[in-house]
Amino acid sequence: MKKLSLIMAVLMLAVAVAGCGGSSSSAPASSTPASSEAASGETASSEAASSEAASSEAATAELNGDGILVGSCIYKFDDTFMTGVRTNMQAEADALGATLEIVDSQNKQPTQNDQVDTYITKGVNALAVNPVDRTAAGPLADKAKAEGLPIVFLNREPEADVMQSYDQVWYVGAKAEESGTMSGQIIADYFTANPDADKNGDGKIQYIMLQGEQGHQDAVLRTEYSVKAMEEAGFGVEALGSDNADWDKVKATDKMKGFIASAGIENIEAVLANNDDMALGALEALKAEGYNTGDPTKYIPVVGVDATAPALESMSKGELLGTVLNDAENQGKATVRIAVAAASGVGVTTETIGYEVTDGKYVWIPYVKVTADNYQDFM
Amino acid sequence: MNERTIPQKKFALVFIVIGAVLLAVGGGIFLMGFADPAPAFVATVSKKVFDLPVLAALIGAGVLGFGLNRYLGKKFQDRPVDLSRKAIVTYLTNNAIIIALLALVVVICFIEPRFMQVRVVLDILTQSSTRLIIALGICFTLLIAGTDLSAGRMVGLAAVISTSMLQNLDYGNRFFPDMPLVPIILPILLAIAACMLFGALNGFLVAKYDMHPFIATLAVQVIIYGACSLYFDLPPNKSQPIGGVREDFAWLGQYKFFVIENEAGKVVFPGFSILIPIALIVTAIIWFILNKTVFGKNVYAIGGNREAAVVSGVNVFKTIMGIFVLASLLYGFAGVLEAARTAGATNQYGNGYELDAIAACVVGGVSLNGGVGKVSGIISGVLIFTVIQYGLQFINVSPMWQQVIKGIIIAVAVAIDLSKYRKK
Amino acid sequence: MGEYLLEMNHITKVFPGVKALDDVTLKVRPGTVHALMGENGAGKSTLMKCLFGIYHEDGGEIILDGKKENINSSKQALDLGVSMIHQELHPIRFRPVMENIWLGRFPMKGIAVDKKAMIQMTKDLFQEVGLDVDPEVLAGELSASTLQLVEIARAVSYNSKIIIMDEPTSSLTDNETEHLFKIINKLRAEGRSIIYISHKMEEILRIADEVTIMRDGQYVGTWPASELTTDLIINRMVGRDMTNRFPPKNYTPSDEVVLQVENLCSPLSKSFQNVSFELHKGEILGIGGLVGAQRTELVEALFGLREIQSGLVTKDGGRFVAKSARDAKRNGLALLTEERRATGIFGILSVLDNTVIASQKNYASHGVLHQKQRVDAAQDSCRKLNVKTPSLEALMQNLSGGNQQKVLIARWLLTQPDILILDEPTRGIDVGAKYEIYTIMHDLIAQGKSIIMISSEMPELLGMADRVMVMCEGRVSGFLERDQFDQVEVMRLATQFAS
Repeated sequence: MKKLSLIMAVLMLAVAVAGCGGSSSSAPASSTPASSEAASGETASSEAASSEAASSEAATAELNGDGILVGSCIYKFDDTFMTGVRTNMQAEADALGATLEIVDSQNKQPTQNDQVDTYITKGVNALAVNPVDRTAAGPLADKAKAEGLPIVFLNREPEADVMQSYDQVWYVGAKAEESGTMSGQIIADYFTANPDADKNGDGKIQYIMLQGEQGHQDAVLRTEYSVKAMEEAGFGVEALGSDNADWDKVKATDKMKGFIASAGIENIEAVLANNDDMALGALEALKAEGYNTGDPTKYIPVVGVDATAPALESMSKGELLGTVLNDAENQGKATVRIAVAAASGVGVTTETIGYEVTDGKYVWIPYVKVTADNYQDFM
Repeated sequence: MNERTIPQKKFALVFIVIGAVLLAVGGGIFLMGFADPAPAFVATVSKKVFDLPVLAALIGAGVLGFGLNRYLGKKFQDRPVDLSRKAIVTYLTNNAIIIALLALVVVICFIEPRFMQVRVVLDILTQSSTRLIIALGICFTLLIAGTDLSAGRMVGLAAVISTSMLQNLDYGNRFFPDMPLVPIILPILLAIAACMLFGALNGFLVAKYDMHPFIATLAVQVIIYGACSLYFDLPPNKSQPIGGVREDFAWLGQYKFFVIENEAGKVVFPGFSILIPIALIVTAIIWFILNKTVFGKNVYAIGGNREAAVVSGVNVFKTIMGIFVLASLLYGFAGVLEAARTAGATNQYGNGYELDAIAACVVGGVSLNGGVGKVSGIISGVLIFTVIQYGLQFINVSPMWQQVIKGIIIAVAVAIDLSKYRKK
Repeated sequence: MGEYLLEMNHITKVFPGVKALDDVTLKVRPGTVHALMGENGAGKSTLMKCLFGIYHEDGGEIILDGKKENINSSKQALDLGVSMIHQELHPIRFRPVMENIWLGRFPMKGIAVDKKAMIQMTKDLFQEVGLDVDPEVLAGELSASTLQLVEIARAVSYNSKIIIMDEPTSSLTDNETEHLFKIINKLRAEGRSIIYISHKMEEILRIADEVTIMRDGQYVGTWPASELTTDLIINRMVGRDMTNRFPPKNYTPSDEVVLQVENLCSPLSKSFQNVSFELHKGEILGIGGLVGAQRTELVEALFGLREIQSGLVTKDGGRFVAKSARDAKRNGLALLTEERRATGIFGILSVLDNTVIASQKNYASHGVLHQKQRVDAAQDSCRKLNVKTPSLEALMQNLSGGNQQKVLIARWLLTQPDILILDEPTRGIDVGAKYEIYTIMHDLIAQGKSIIMISSEMPELLGMADRVMVMCEGRVSGFLERDQFDQVEVMRLATQFAS
């Protein structure tokens, strides 16, 4: 009898699986609290959105997603920024009346390839892929080409020859160097406005750099261009410490503690992090020393990139100096709009999608500087 | 307790009839599609149930074959079939996970009729291929009541090494900028050899120092990842994903046989991926090794009762070394295929594959206590996981739910398996 | 309370194929030391395990304090006031002594273990039994004899009415034994009863009030200790006739020496030391002795499974030391181990696989097996030994003990050995199968092979062996030729070095 009950359990499981398949198909992503928060933030920020966004609203009427099924792969679900992107993708798909399915590639390129195959067999009308490895986009484009399906890559830019290999390939993303430039500029602006920030008065900015994963393209570019921006603003720079904290908050705290111990907290004039999580991690270390907690004599400017909700929260308390918004809303919107435009046959042009199309294939979504002046627009 | 038995012939006849009917109906409708002009209802059928006739014909052929084998086979002649309640319950328990899988497939077909396509079957087989090769490797280590945590990282190592030497000459970021074109087999062998070296280290630690495989392979796993990352970080590559692989290498993972396109260039039949025959050949070889060689028998013996194997004069050291080296060969090969089919590699490749492979083996009836496990079980274990992943994506189940369901499947499968043994 | 504190009446216990206890009776008076005696395998431990709830008797009744009890678990036995000191100790080595003692009944303070109280309780307990051990020292750091005393203290701590002591002095020195006796006397004075199992005659005669003797799972009788002498006990323990339990011997061993062992020593001082013997061609050499005489260790060392410190082994005139079982196999040795389940069979593999595992290479070319050759060899070998199995594909674990043993012999015969070492070849096997195995042994002798047989069953030893070597405490205490065979003499030699 025990065995029989086990069999029953298995069969019930199968039915249950089918049940959640039916019910969850409408909104797989919106069930998490994090993403709904992001979604509500997005409606508020649309007022402050750039001119492109405004024109996209005007163009909405022209695109009709009825009957269009877009299959999307996100490199991994537990990435804060990409969660923002996919939430906005879902919202835009709903607005256009298209059906969007999103899967988690679990940071595994082979899994993503399988998922694309599955989408193709299932009969999607367009693909939107956030590749795990940017070099592995080639076979994905080939798969789409074999079926004549439009494919939009987002956030991780495929190599140029892949982009040229097929006329139905597009890329939506930001220029990584721009985020570096902007974070450097935030620091430079702060030093211009507060000459006292140069504690030792030597005219140089003594900074700590917290980098993402070793060799990660964004990490390399952000580091390089943020330094460049400070130099271009007329400051000398000196790196007191620079290390990889792998985008991770906890690791950043540990590394920062190490730098405080080795360089001496009184010598650190600025902290630049390749993303917000690491900036917040560094802040934890500073706060443990009594810094950035309200005492104006104990303040070290810290900048991040991404403008995540916790980062904005931190800015509202005056802890974090600034961050750079990688515009998840417009990246997500643009991706879905391209996919729908291509699948419905209206053609992907600046007019149809409401974003400027470069070389007929690239849509660059600019970064936005977030400082004490405008952070409330993004909360 | 009611004893009910029917003669073998009668039992077989039922299958023959069912199989023949399915084959005839399915095949008939399929063939009618080629008639000119095709009957009107064929179009309706293919719109409503897609390739169901072909699939029905295939299933029918399978059932028919089973029935004929039972009917004609000498082995079964004089053994009546027990159809008592107990025998049926036992049969259902032994195959509970397969039955659950079939139920799931039927449900998916109802929700999304497009699931009834030949393409779906081909996709599932293709996606199972490399996983199967890894699972077949890891099953050796499970058969001796061990495990191999380094499998995934070996996949990554082989992927990185092979792609690093198989890039196009005109590619911008070559791993070895000055390397000439080498025969494709060389980097592949080199990649697999590197894995086997680490496999030998695994085996040595386990066999020589009697280290528990969990610890030994954990240590080696960390070493491999570190070594692979060091290699991956070599200038000028500096941890950039490796791309721009040669066409002939990508062919190894992406080529498709029998692709049929219509006049408009639209794909009618997507073709068999080259990975399917590769996995079949590897499976056949592993089956042979496990069942037909001294080495295979010794593996089962060590897993069944290590002490008794020692007393019987089995060369335990050599066998354990062989197990880990052979397993790493398979991981290495799988890694090469993964790199080929994605036309790229990073040091993150293969991360976590060992746990998927162990789960597939366990669901396929391989006992973690060693000594029990069959190739056919491993195949079904791998297929189950692929079908779940594929099917759930197909009906758009949230990825988070997919994880929950995967975990439940593992727990339930093993619970059933263990309750089977506890009775004895 | 009646005359007896404990009555075990007509206890029967059957294991698959063996009747371990057959109508056994044990009656213990309050405030006495009751000795339980018998040869190895007489059923003493089985009887005590029934009392302690490890086994459940198949027939008979247990009456404790005048009340019929149905004891199903050790915990229940402890609750009823029965505790047991086991022959082999299994302390939790990496935990303190006191935790070992109070395991399962820690003193609690709220949800936390009250460590202070536990230390105090342990100190009090140790004082009561006169033991000077720090309660917090790790159990693994204590010597075997101290552990034995701790174990006794633990039994006392249960406040039991009946304490079972199974060979309590086996690891104790003379002084410690004296100490134990003091404790026993104290417990007896408190009105508790002790069931005392031991092979050491002097001890029994000194400490016991009454003696119950068992033989072959049967009850022989109960006598006051004062009426007994060592000889009387031995006679009653072994007193039986041997008729037709063994096939007739129709061969004579040759004088040719096939294996010569000289001064073989184990690196462990407690194990075998200075063992010398010769094995003749066509001879069955029996090795007798009590449990713990290191006989198994000796043959395992000969077979390359254990280390040898020094000594010389000569086979067929050439010197040879087996470093592994493979080595021994190559040199024409075969070993049927004592623990059939643990080190012999592959339960989850088929009979076929079990039969050919030791000789696989003979049926393979370049590592690839010839299925037909394997099947033929296994079939042939199993048929010769009359193995009863549904098919060669049947799982080994589904065979009876006797058939499993025959498969194991078949396995070794396929390796073409000259010398077979059989360690307790008929343990756990029913009578009919025993006779078959004896016949097989004679057939092997007729084929010119030689056999070393360890047996703890006196009739088997004397009924089958051509010559007997008796061991005691790791040393050879004597040889007996067939015409000198005498149970009492074997028993005397087996306890020769015992205190």
